[in-house]
Amino acid sequence: MADERLHGSAWTPYLFMAPAAGYLLFFQGYPLIEELYLSFTSTSLLSPRDHTWVGLDNYRDLFATSDFHHVLWITALYTAACVVLSIGLGLTAALLLDESFPGRAIARTLVTIPWAAPPVAVALVYIWMYNAQYGIFSRTLRALGIASGTENWLDDPSLALPAILLTTVWQIFPFASVVILAALQGVSKEQREAAVIDGADRLSVFAAVVWPTIRPTVALLALFITIWSLRRFDLIWLMTQGGPIGATNTLVIELYRQAFVYRDLGRAAAVGMIGLGTALAMTLVYFRYTQRAERAQGND
Amino acid sequence: MGVLSLRQGLHLAAILGLLGAAAFPPYWMFVTSLTPSAALFADRARLLPTLSEAAAYREVFRTIPVATWLVNSAIVATGTTVLSIALAILPAYALSRFRFRGKGIFGFALFATQMLPEAMLVVPLYGIFAQMSLLDSLIGLILANTAFTVPVITWILKGAIDGIPIEVEEAARIDGCSRIDIVLAVVVPLVAPTLAAAAVIAFFHGWNEYVFAQTLVSSEALRTASVGLAGFVGELSTPVHSVMAVSVIYTLPAVIFYLFVQRYVVSGMTAGSVKG
Repeated sequence: MADERLHGSAWTPYLFMAPAAGYLLFFQGYPLIEELYLSFTSTSLLSPRDHTWVGLDNYRDLFATSDFHHVLWITALYTAACVVLSIGLGLTAALLLDESFPGRAIARTLVTIPWAAPPVAVALVYIWMYNAQYGIFSRTLRALGIASGTENWLDDPSLALPAILLTTVWQIFPFASVVILAALQGVSKEQREAAVIDGADRLSVFAAVVWPTIRPTVALLALFITIWSLRRFDLIWLMTQGGPIGATNTLVIELYRQAFVYRDLGRAAAVGMIGLGTALAMTLVYFRYTQRAERAQGND
Repeated sequence: MGVLSLRQGLHLAAILGLLGAAAFPPYWMFVTSLTPSAALFADRARLLPTLSEAAAYREVFRTIPVATWLVNSAIVATGTTVLSIALAILPAYALSRFRFRGKGIFGFALFATQMLPEAMLVVPLYGIFAQMSLLDSLIGLILANTAFTVPVITWILKGAIDGIPIEVEEAARIDGCSRIDIVLAVVVPLVAPTLAAAAVIAFFHGWNEYVFAQTLVSSEALRTASVGLAGFVGELSTPVHSVMAVSVIYTLPAVIFYLFVQRYVVSGMTAGSVKG
């Protein structure tokens, strides 16, 4: 279309692409290939130049340990919970902020603050809030008499992951709500009013009119939150280092531990590749789903 | 009017609850930074800041190299912003305006970069940087961060360029401007708001980034705020209120900067993501 009306030479798009493509190949493509190669070798952090080719041993050894099964389980749990909770809360916030009320503009701005806060600072304030004796959470629980409120959530194997989740969802739900809020502008007023005149209650209006409009946006959000959760490092590392006893040990944390705690670069690279494979698989699932949804809409 | 219906009341209560939950941790950071140590460990928590404690901030700058950290973070963030935008404008234009072989692959590759964890690439990058003498330098951090921001910014700018009618360019074309002239003189001014949003996103990334700053830089003089602050985790000699004061100082520019261009960020993000 455009290129026929604005003829440039056939080479123009490639010239425009070249600097960025070269840059990304050098700083991401090449390290990625090197990482792929490392995953088939035995390489120590102490002599990173000495590789011994071991084929699929790193992968085999990983899958043979129950520890790694636990890592996969924690990663799945963390990712799924991030997606469901962030989108659930983000959607609720977006629907609340979509209606008109006094001070709506300020409210919309305030809600996005968590997303702007640096993760390292967020980790530090939450570590302080989770403090067993003096943290505001423990103090509140004690004051309400709900629990003894003397445990540090981050030290408790059953509470550490929920604590990390609470922090993560607090940080990313504003992003979900902003994106969904923008999608809600596309909901047709006429359809909504027609449904109300037909006597539909709020829930049916949402299911019949609002949801079909925002569904593609929510699906795309789910994909992005999945991918980001699979690579989130600083928040988890600073709060728990993957502990206690592996309760918050996701794939990226395990990768970092393999490389810098156990000094095994080959094993770390294999963990990274498994994480990358997971992200790619999720992306494929998303594309299959959106194609199916488009076809289904085409037949309506 | 005057009297709220029950439904409006519930709606407002829900919104207030939401805002409270979103604003509480930053508020608590601020309150803690302005509470004397003794009061932090008393039986009852103080829920309001003790404004007479403001001197604590001066103390923090005197005892902790916060100023150095902030300057380093600002250099990294600014460099990342400038370099990312310089690299992203042309491919964004090409993705929006041209059809060419390999376009789909390039688009997918941009998306795929979102899947690569910094922690995974840091080992090979360390080796590359060692050979190029880029270790322990802020330039190295800027280069590494830019690799992660270019794809996002390209995508956002492409969305904005999609929204510019082609006729605007054709007029310039007839006047005999070259393609690059058109991009710089016609297209860039028209996408200025989105460019502002893209700049903020890149700045954020550089300002917040931790893994590369922790691994690729070793000298204290080049420490960024994220690494300096992370150093307080698990060390008990720095008082809690000082740690929170540094957190406030580090968080504030990011939040203020963000609120400033919030409107553009939101429209830029959604132009890039919703239309996808």
